[in-house]
Amino acid sequence: MTMAIVTSPLFFKIVFFPGLTSLAIIAALITWLDRKITARVQLRIGPQYVSPVGGILQAFADLIKLVFKELMIPAKADKFFFVAAPLIGMILAGGLIGLIPFSPEFQIANLEVGLPVFLAFVTLSPTMVLLAGWSANSKYPFIGGLRSLFQQTAYEIPLWLSAIGVVMMAGSFDLLKIVQAQSSGWFILPQALGALIFLITITAEMERIPFDLPEAEPEVIMGWQAEYSGFLFMAAQGASFIKLYAFSALFATIYLGGFLGPGPLPALFWTMLKTLVIIVVIILLRGTFGRVRIDQLLRYGWTVLLGLAIVNIAITYIIIQGIPAI
Amino acid sequence: MVAQGIAEIFYYLGFVTVSTFGLIIILFLIVSPRDPKPTPEKRAAFESGQIAVGRGRTRFIIQYYPYLLLFVVYDVVAMFLFAWALNLRSLGFSGTLPVIVFMVVLLIPLAYALHLSNRPENW
Repeated sequence: MTMAIVTSPLFFKIVFFPGLTSLAIIAALITWLDRKITARVQLRIGPQYVSPVGGILQAFADLIKLVFKELMIPAKADKFFFVAAPLIGMILAGGLIGLIPFSPEFQIANLEVGLPVFLAFVTLSPTMVLLAGWSANSKYPFIGGLRSLFQQTAYEIPLWLSAIGVVMMAGSFDLLKIVQAQSSGWFILPQALGALIFLITITAEMERIPFDLPEAEPEVIMGWQAEYSGFLFMAAQGASFIKLYAFSALFATIYLGGFLGPGPLPALFWTMLKTLVIIVVIILLRGTFGRVRIDQLLRYGWTVLLGLAIVNIAITYIIIQGIPAI
Repeated sequence: MVAQGIAEIFYYLGFVTVSTFGLIIILFLIVSPRDPKPTPEKRAAFESGQIAVGRGRTRFIIQYYPYLLLFVVYDVVAMFLFAWALNLRSLGFSGTLPVIVFMVVLLIPLAYALHLSNRPENW
């Protein structure tokens, strides 16, 4: 009985790929990639000593260092939520990977409502940020948590509305069927506007520069992460990199044809290649843009992004049905 | 049909939850060093190096609350549109007309509300 569970394909998928083990390794490698690319953009060298190849093991060295640090919890903090909030955030981020079809075989759960479930998981994570900021009982984390809440109102509706364009084209919520619907052409061509809005809103959701207001270093000193130390800080940071991986994979799935690709190369190769391209693009944004202000983000999100998302739905409707004869 | 894959996602989430909390508890109990006598300064809130004054959860001004009010109303719209987008091809134009009317009815107040919210004196 136990052997039957261990040798089943679902066990392999949950434990090794695309599940937990590969998730941790890939998140650590993305941390290295983030530091290295940002360093190169800023004409620095970045990590280089930890391994023969460009310091690629730097992230693992940092992990080991953080694990052996003392965990300091402020005396006035709400201890349970202070510990639980970043962990739940990390679990929510890791759960996103379970919905992505890396190839027809390597998908943990093929939900019929995959896309809305993915976005619903995403919706919960700013709540965890607010919880973390509130429980720390300190002023900067609290401001960071509130900023996360405001930021969510700015990007949430454009994020959902830009994903609607894909649902209209594919006629399905199922991520596997959305990929199969792209066999005649990737959705990034008819959905160019939607893809752009989606890229901007997922950058805001991941709290990366130019939208990293909840953890802006010069303004609120790491914001909601200010009181975390040791492996709780590692969990808070890790969740952001796992989300970067999950969102890039989702973008590759719904706009860039997912695992579809020419030639004898395996389907898995194409998904990972496209995911890597999107990860690099999002990291390059960090090197090239300055941070927006919170009121700029709110105004821009509610007027320009929301307006363009509705325009995108209208354009998609005309592409599918033709101009309606009234 | 909707039940497809639900068992798998719950297995996965359960596994991730158990392993994350298990790992953290093991790290906390075995690996992480402890200070036997932490001083009050060490246990105080960090607050970016300054000595913390007053309560952490102070009174705060909810700026931008018009946006929060708008969000409560308009976040639901996306769900209605998702249902329409899924059945777009079978509905035809007669099924789409109510959606267009619905959107127009919602967008006019939205435009007026944004006109008001974007004025700084309303923050």
